[in-house]
Amino acid sequence: MIQNTMLYIRSMSGLKMMTIVVILMLAGAGCKSKKKAMEASNAAAEKARMEQEAAAKKQREREEEERARREAEARAQADRDAAAKKNEPYTRLERYFSSISGSGNSTAANNSINEALAMFASPDTPVLIIISQSGGQKDYDRPTTIRDYLNYLKDQQKNANKIDKLEFDGAGKITAVELTKLK
Amino acid sequence: MITNKSLGAFVLGFFLAGAALAQSGGEISPERKQAIDSLALEKVRDLSKYISIIGNKKTPFSEANRVMDRAEELFTPESEMGVSSLNRKEVTYYKVRKYFERLMALNYDRVTIQWYNIHYISDLERQPDGRYVGVVTIYQRFEGVSDDGLKYKDTTKKDITIYVERKKTQIQGRTVEFWDVMLGDIRVTETSA
Repeated sequence: MIQNTMLYIRSMSGLKMMTIVVILMLAGAGCKSKKKAMEASNAAAEKARMEQEAAAKKQREREEEERARREAEARAQADRDAAAKKNEPYTRLERYFSSISGSGNSTAANNSINEALAMFASPDTPVLIIISQSGGQKDYDRPTTIRDYLNYLKDQQKNANKIDKLEFDGAGKITAVELTKLK
Repeated sequence: MITNKSLGAFVLGFFLAGAALAQSGGEISPERKQAIDSLALEKVRDLSKYISIIGNKKTPFSEANRVMDRAEELFTPESEMGVSSLNRKEVTYYKVRKYFERLMALNYDRVTIQWYNIHYISDLERQPDGRYVGVVTIYQRFEGVSDDGLKYKDTTKKDITIYVERKKTQIQGRTVEFWDVMLGDIRVTETSA
């Protein structure tokens, strides 16, 4: 077969030979430029893909930051709500102490006393008043009950103690009160 | 013969015993003593307010009785209150409950009682039995007015004996130590117009 091809080539004229060589060269050149174009196209696609990925990554990061910010805000709000809920009885009771001691009207004071007593497990809930404390040692006044203490505020018309600690039962009612004498 | 070593041990033991006594309440720091002094004065001021409520003719009977109970709790049992008048020389002493009841029943239409210049004339001092005892002086301005124009007023100087004692009580299974301030007899020392 090869021998036949060789014989055929030898039998061709010089001009024909030249023509074939030129055609082959042109075909070769065409392939090369096509390859180059393909390579350029691939590079552009790769660049576009990388840019797309970078943009997507940036977007993901932004979303992640936004999500983290929203979560932190929700946590802070939950903490504020929990603190407000925890402090709510303190604030409410302080308000009762203030209104009872500040009321010049016996009926109004008695109404406030009855409302305040609803916060307690019992009208006999103990009340301790710290008169001084140093080195971890607390000095107390004679213990009293919440009913007597609220009446004391009404009678004496002075609110000379602040709430130091409240204890609660499972129903959220106050079971013990510790006050500190204001200096 | 006393050696330096045994003398040192004795001095150290003396200080440790002193510290233990102070810790157990035998001696108290000036800050704690100050707090107790203030607490006792506050009890006297509380009594002053209770007396003005009991004497006030506008106070409802049930309220006056409740306040009498609270005022009586400030005193040691059997304490007495001196009552004087510009119209007689002698001072009459009543048990505090009786005094409050008489005060509530005074035959005036308006009664005002004010205590002022409340101060220690004898500081609280620790007694051998562990109690602290002192004397507080007060001045009382009394004014009674009847609708028919009858008016009586006087100023009385009174001495109140104060007792302070360290006590313990159980509250919700917890032992609480507290300072119990009790008022004793109230003696009239001067009466003037």
